[in-house]
Amino acid sequence: MFNAELKKGSTEMLILSLLEARPRHGYEIGKLIEQRSGGKLTFALPTLYPTLLRLENRGWIRGRWVEKPGERARCFYRLLPEGRRVLARQRETWKEYIAAVNQVMKPSRA
Amino acid sequence: MRNWEEYVRSRLTLPDLAPEREARIVRELAAQLEDFYREALARGATEGEAEAHACAQVRDWDRFAQDVWLADRPNVRPRVARWSEQVEETAYRKGRRWGVIADLLQDTRYAIRQLLKSPGFTLVAVLTLALGIGANSAIFSVVNGVLLRPLPYPQADALVRVHEIVPHYGRFTVAPPNFFDWREQNTVFERIAMVSTGSATFTQGDVPERLSMAYVSWDVFDLLRVQPMLGRSFTPEEDTPGKSNVVVLSHGLWQRLFGGDRNVLGRSITLSGTPATVVGVMPADFYFPNRETELWSPIATPNDPTQRGAHYVIVFARMKPGVTVEQADAEMKTIAARLAAQYPDRNEGESAEVVALHEQTVGKIRPALLTLLGAVGLVVLIACGNVANLLLVRASARAKELAIRTALGAGRRRLIFQMLAESTVLGLAGGALGLLLAYAALQPIRTLGAASIPRVDDIAIDGGVLAFTAALSLLTGVVFGLAPAWQAQRANLNGVLKEGGRTSAAAGGRWVRNALVVAEVALSLILLVGASLLIRSFAKLTGVDPGFRAENVLSFRVALPNASYPDLARQAAFYESLVERLESLPQVTSAAAVQTLPMRGTYVLSTGIVGRPPLPPSQQPSINYRVVSRRYFETLGIPLLRGRAISERDTTSSPGVVLIDQAFVDAHFPGEEPLGRQLTIGNGTNRPYEIVGVVGDVRTDGFDALAAPTMYVPHTQDPFSSMWFLVRTTGDPAQLASAARQAVLELDRTLPAFSMAPLADVVSDTLAQRRFSTLLLGLFALMALFLAAVGLFGVLSFVVSQRIPEIGVRMALGASRGDLLRMVVGHGMRLALAGVVLGLVGALALARLVATMLFEVTPFDPASYAATAAVLLATAALACYVPARRALRVDPIIALRYE
Repeated sequence: MFNAELKKGSTEMLILSLLEARPRHGYEIGKLIEQRSGGKLTFALPTLYPTLLRLENRGWIRGRWVEKPGERARCFYRLLPEGRRVLARQRETWKEYIAAVNQVMKPSRA
Repeated sequence: MRNWEEYVRSRLTLPDLAPEREARIVRELAAQLEDFYREALARGATEGEAEAHACAQVRDWDRFAQDVWLADRPNVRPRVARWSEQVEETAYRKGRRWGVIADLLQDTRYAIRQLLKSPGFTLVAVLTLALGIGANSAIFSVVNGVLLRPLPYPQADALVRVHEIVPHYGRFTVAPPNFFDWREQNTVFERIAMVSTGSATFTQGDVPERLSMAYVSWDVFDLLRVQPMLGRSFTPEEDTPGKSNVVVLSHGLWQRLFGGDRNVLGRSITLSGTPATVVGVMPADFYFPNRETELWSPIATPNDPTQRGAHYVIVFARMKPGVTVEQADAEMKTIAARLAAQYPDRNEGESAEVVALHEQTVGKIRPALLTLLGAVGLVVLIACGNVANLLLVRASARAKELAIRTALGAGRRRLIFQMLAESTVLGLAGGALGLLLAYAALQPIRTLGAASIPRVDDIAIDGGVLAFTAALSLLTGVVFGLAPAWQAQRANLNGVLKEGGRTSAAAGGRWVRNALVVAEVALSLILLVGASLLIRSFAKLTGVDPGFRAENVLSFRVALPNASYPDLARQAAFYESLVERLESLPQVTSAAAVQTLPMRGTYVLSTGIVGRPPLPPSQQPSINYRVVSRRYFETLGIPLLRGRAISERDTTSSPGVVLIDQAFVDAHFPGEEPLGRQLTIGNGTNRPYEIVGVVGDVRTDGFDALAAPTMYVPHTQDPFSSMWFLVRTTGDPAQLASAARQAVLELDRTLPAFSMAPLADVVSDTLAQRRFSTLLLGLFALMALFLAAVGLFGVLSFVVSQRIPEIGVRMALGASRGDLLRMVVGHGMRLALAGVVLGLVGALALARLVATMLFEVTPFDPASYAATAAVLLATAALACYVPARRALRVDPIIALRYE
């Protein structure tokens, strides 16, 4: 749907923002991205999972095994304070970028 | 349903990832694949379709594994850890006996991890140990190279020197007729040879060159068991007068003169005007009897029984297998006694002595080197004390960790092992760094020792030094690890856990820490006393008036070949004109010639006083003999006390004259007028010499020897074929060198001026050995002082940090700054004082060891002891002050909250 480069650059930000509300496990994250984008964005496991590990090793998120009643144990990722700060910054940058791009692409009236 | 964990595990290879990390990744991926599978099922797919859907999520497992591995690289462990784990596992599997090794490996790994966790502590400990161990390795490499390693000849322990023992003088060079009798009569030596060193002028091209050579018995190479690498050694026939014009070259000379040409054999070279045929070349690393010798020629001394008084050769021998030095010595003494009875005229009272060649070479330096080795031993002990203290402090900080480990079932033995593992790892790290330090120190040591240490080129870091360093590192590791380990195992579990794990173990270790600091101070005091005794000796020595002024004097040597200067008159004339030419050089105030430089070798002759009852030759006094040119006394600044100096009128044909020094007067003319008396001198001229003047004493045998009676004869009346020249200048003598060399060449183009050096350097070289040991001991003492101060500082800092609550209470209750300062500094100074007292006792007990190295300072010199104690206490006070200041800055409120 969108090209690979564009997707890759935004994966980290998408994951962080999905974890902002509450901890989620890996499968859930992948599904959510797909759902919320109306199927326009899909991240296969081989892309998503190494990114999770990388974010965890940077100390932005942390995975923890949680067993909920009636479910199998899953590794839930939680957003750490550092991750929250990074996300806020990335969001700002993203907004500015989008605004700038829109500005440029606005059809000129003259 | 498929077992997804197994599915993932069999496809995902993640090398060197920590096992628990790898397990987590596998488990999580398996969970996700299962989610995909269940989702497909829920959508109504068959089991097979659902599995296929899940498996399709990852197509390229290798690429995926690589991505995961890269993303998780911070958790990849070093290869070494993997390897040691494997060994550990194998060892555990092998059973009980190997279990110990596995424990050891585990302890070591744990120790390394613990040490890396506190890099500051580790760095300080390793540096301290490196300093201590490095000093030991460096000195041991000297001891090893000089004292321990055999001389570089096969079966060198059978090689000996044989001395003559001459009444009043002791060990002496040998008279050839005695040598021939020894060779004839002994049964203990496989071979015995005589050697006489000298030099010869070699001319090739424009510039003549002086080569160091040795005249040797024909079979000396067989005696040494070293054969020429090219050609042959000498034959018995060549060791006879008239047939000895053959030479064997050293490897170095062969390279230098002939570029290593293998056709050199049979070539003729001219030495001091006489042709000689090259018959052999020695191997590259061979040297004998010293490293300077560049070629060898047969000594070819005739066995002339009338020359029994002419002592001038040195004798080497190889003992037969099974013969000891004592047996050889006993037999040689018997033979010498027989010769003394047989030739009472010349040999009366003479004896012989056999000394192992190794002992002969290095015996003199042994006490100094062993003292230095002892000194660095003390330094490493102090370093151990410091690190032990650091470990103790750390151990009390870790008391809780240890208590928990005990609670979890770690045995006492295991805990001790653990602590020892840490200290051993520290020891080995310190040793490794120390070895680097020692390596860096070797060149400076060789340079410093060049003039004073025999075999200085044999000093190197070899297997022996490596083994010594490794052993010392392990030993230090165990030594400084014992106290903390002992303390660790007796930590009171309940107490520690209850008290929040801070004070209990600390209280228990307090006396150990204090004792360590006291010991450190005591040890460093011993070293400082030793060093200050040597330094004071050195200062006294350099303050000694040698009786002559060596400053601004250039010295060099010229040797006249017999071929071109056959008669005495021509030799005397040459010397006269050379002195004249030297005196005409700019800036030169006077010049002179002498056959033996003061402090640079002895030349004694038996002497009789005319008018006194004649003594048999063996009982005549042996007096220092100097043959000098006219302005010798003026050039060296030796005062003329009475009578006259040598004048132009004292020629070859005029009546013999002699000047004597005050020591001669005191010894042989007490209360008499020596002027006008006559001497008979055993110089072969067979004429009386009238005493015409008395000059000041000169310390001919070195600063530490009293002036021996000396007599001076004009060179015109007993010329020598080689003379030293002394040139006094108003400028830098070294800058005169080329002009002096030129002056010699202008007189005779074939003559090199050699051994050229400022006289002050020559004189200073006589102190080289003392300078070496004084400088090094001083350096080690400073290191000891520094380490002890650091130790004291460390302990007090810790004490202060432990007592912060107490200090807070005291402050709150109104203690003044003075009170607190007194409390902390008082604690430190009590320790230092105890150490000083102990150290003084130790120093008094050990001072006798350096007695032989002292000069005009007794081993119990009160000034040295007092000054040292003062320096140490001052240093201690400084080390106490900084922690004390910290105590004063304590804020009572914060301090009380500390609890």
